Amino acid sequence: MSKNRHTIKQKALQLLFDWLGGAYLIATLHRIVWRVVLIGDSLPAAHSTLIANVPDWAIYALAGVLIAIAASVSGASLGLLVRGELSIGSWQRAAALHWASALLAVTFVTGWVVTNISLVDMFSGERIHAAGRIFSSLLTPHFAILPQALSAIVETVYLAFMATVLALPASLVLSFLSARNLMKDSLWKRFVYTVLRALTNFIRSIEPLVWAVIFTVWVKVGPFPGMLALMVHTISSLVKQYSEQIEDIDPGPVEAIASTGARPLQIVWFGVVPQVAIPFLSFTIYRWDINVRMATVIGLVGGGGIGTMLNQYQMLAQWHEVGTIVLVIALVVWVMDYVSARIREALV
Amino acid sequence: MKLLELRRLSKVYPNGTRALDSVTLSVDRGEFIAVIGLSGSGKSTLLRCINRLIEPTDGTILFDGSDVTHITGEQLRRYRSRIGMIFQQFNLVGRYSVLSNVLMGALGSVGTFDSIVGRYPPALRQMALRNLEIVGIADKAHVRADSLSGGQQQRVAIARALMQEPQLLLADEPVASLDPATSHSVMRYLGYINRELGMTVVCNLHFLSLVREYSTRAVALKAGVVVFDGSPAEIDQEWFRHIYGEDAVEVEIR
Repeated sequence: MSKNRHTIKQKALQLLFDWLGGAYLIATLHRIVWRVVLIGDSLPAAHSTLIANVPDWAIYALAGVLIAIAASVSGASLGLLVRGELSIGSWQRAAALHWASALLAVTFVTGWVVTNISLVDMFSGERIHAAGRIFSSLLTPHFAILPQALSAIVETVYLAFMATVLALPASLVLSFLSARNLMKDSLWKRFVYTVLRALTNFIRSIEPLVWAVIFTVWVKVGPFPGMLALMVHTISSLVKQYSEQIEDIDPGPVEAIASTGARPLQIVWFGVVPQVAIPFLSFTIYRWDINVRMATVIGLVGGGGIGTMLNQYQMLAQWHEVGTIVLVIALVVWVMDYVSARIREALV
Repeated sequence: MKLLELRRLSKVYPNGTRALDSVTLSVDRGEFIAVIGLSGSGKSTLLRCINRLIEPTDGTILFDGSDVTHITGEQLRRYRSRIGMIFQQFNLVGRYSVLSNVLMGALGSVGTFDSIVGRYPPALRQMALRNLEIVGIADKAHVRADSLSGGQQQRVAIARALMQEPQLLLADEPVASLDPATSHSVMRYLGYINRELGMTVVCNLHFLSLVREYSTRAVALKAGVVVFDGSPAEIDQEWFRHIYGEDAVEVEIR
C-alpha cells in the first residue's frame, strides 16, 4: 500500500521533470535560439513576455506534455536518468543524456543573451581608455586620507566583533534547540525544532545587505544598524553550523550519561558539550573573520565603518582615495584571514 | 532473591523489525548472566529495554518488586541510577580526565549546577578514587581519558558504573573491541565485582569460551526469542548450531 503510493509519487515526479525539461527546451529553442540568435529580434522586455505572449507559453507547455508522454512511453526520460534507472549502454540512456546536454547548451546560449555579454563593450579603444584611467588612479593611492581610513576600518573590525559576540548567547541556546538528535523524543520538541529550523533558514536566506537596509530605516544610519544586520545574519548562520555539529556527535557518551540517571541538562553538558566545544570556538572565530568582510559591504548601504567611507569617495569619483581605502581593506582582511586560520589550526 | 523480572517483553522498531519477541526472563540477585546470540538477535535491545534507554513496545519490567515499565521523569532517573551500564565503545568523554569521567557516574545524586561547576562532595571524590583502585588504574586518575588504551578505558567505564553503587550492572559487548588478553582482564574485573561486591551482572557476549568461564547462567536469543536459558556448561555442539545456525563454527578466545 505505502510502497504503491511511493511508486505513484515517483512516477508523478518523473513526469513533472520530463514536462519541465521538454517545455523549457522548446521555449528556449524557439524564443532565444530561433528568434533572437537566428532571426535577430531583440529580447522582449520582461513584462511584455508574460502577458502578450500567452499563446506561446501554452504551446510550450503543450509541447512539454507531448515530450513527457513520449519519454514515459519510450523510457528515454530525464526523470529516470537522474534516478539512475536507465541501464548503461541502452539507447534510452543515450537519448536522455543528449536531451540533458541540449538543456545545458540552450541554457548557456540563453545566459549569454540575457547578460548582454559583449566583447566590444569591454575591449574597444574608448573602453580600454576608461579602464586605464580607473586602474591608474586606483594604483596611485593618495595617502592623505589614510588616518581617516584606518579609523574607519578599526570601526568596522569592532563592529564585526560586536556582531559576533552579541550573536553568541542566542546562537548557543537556539543551536541546541535546533539539533534533531536532541529534539526527537517528544511531539513538542519536534515542533520547536521544526519551527526554529524554518525560521533560521528563512532569516539566513535574506542577505545581510537587505537586513542592513531594514535596520538603517529602523534605527538611524551608522555602525549600529550595520552591527544589528550582521548580528541577525550571524545568529542564523551559527545556529546552522552549531546544530549540524551537534547532530554529528558520537551518541555513545550521551547514552552512557543518560544511563547513570543524570538530568537532561547534565546529559547535554557532559555528553554533548565536550564534543562540540572546540568546533564551536573555531566556527565562531571564522564567523568574526567573515563578519569583517561583510561589514565592509554593509557599510556601502549606510552601515558605517570603512564601507560607508568607500561609498562616499566612490560617489565623488575620487579614485585615488578609493584606491587607498581598497588597499586598507585588503590588508586588514588578509591579516584577519591569516590570524583566524592560525588560531583555528591551533585549536584542532 | 529475584532482582529483575521481564514478562513477555517485546520491542518492535518503527521500521517493523521485531527485535524482542515476548521475552520472559527472571534474574536473581548475585547472578552473572551472559546473553548470547548472533548480531541482530536482540541482545543490545534487551539490555537497553531493561534500563529504558529503549522503550519496550509490550510487556512488563519488574525491578526489585516494582513495575518500572512506564515510569517517567524523576522516577525513571532514580531507577536508572540504580543500574550501571558499560558499552562496547566505552563511551567515555575523551577530553575529560579519568577522574571526571568516573565522577560522571554520580551525576544522578549531584545537583545540576554543582555538577556543571565541578563541585562534587569530597566523599564522592574519595569513592571515585577507590573505584579506580578496584579496577587497578588509580595512577591514571588525572590523565585525559582518550589517552588510555581500550582495556583501560573500559575499566574507567566500570569504575564510572560503580559510582552508582548499582544493584545491577548491564554490560553491552564489553570486550568486543578489545584484544584477547585485554578481554580477559576486563572480564576478570567484572567477575570480581560480581563475586566480591555481590553485584548482579547481565552481560552480552560473543565468545562462548568467555561465557563458560565467567557466567553463572547463559541466555540465548535468536531473532528476539529466548531459545536457551540454562547453565553455560549445557551448551554443546547441538545447542551451538541451534543458536548460531548450521554453518557456525565455534571460535575460542584464550
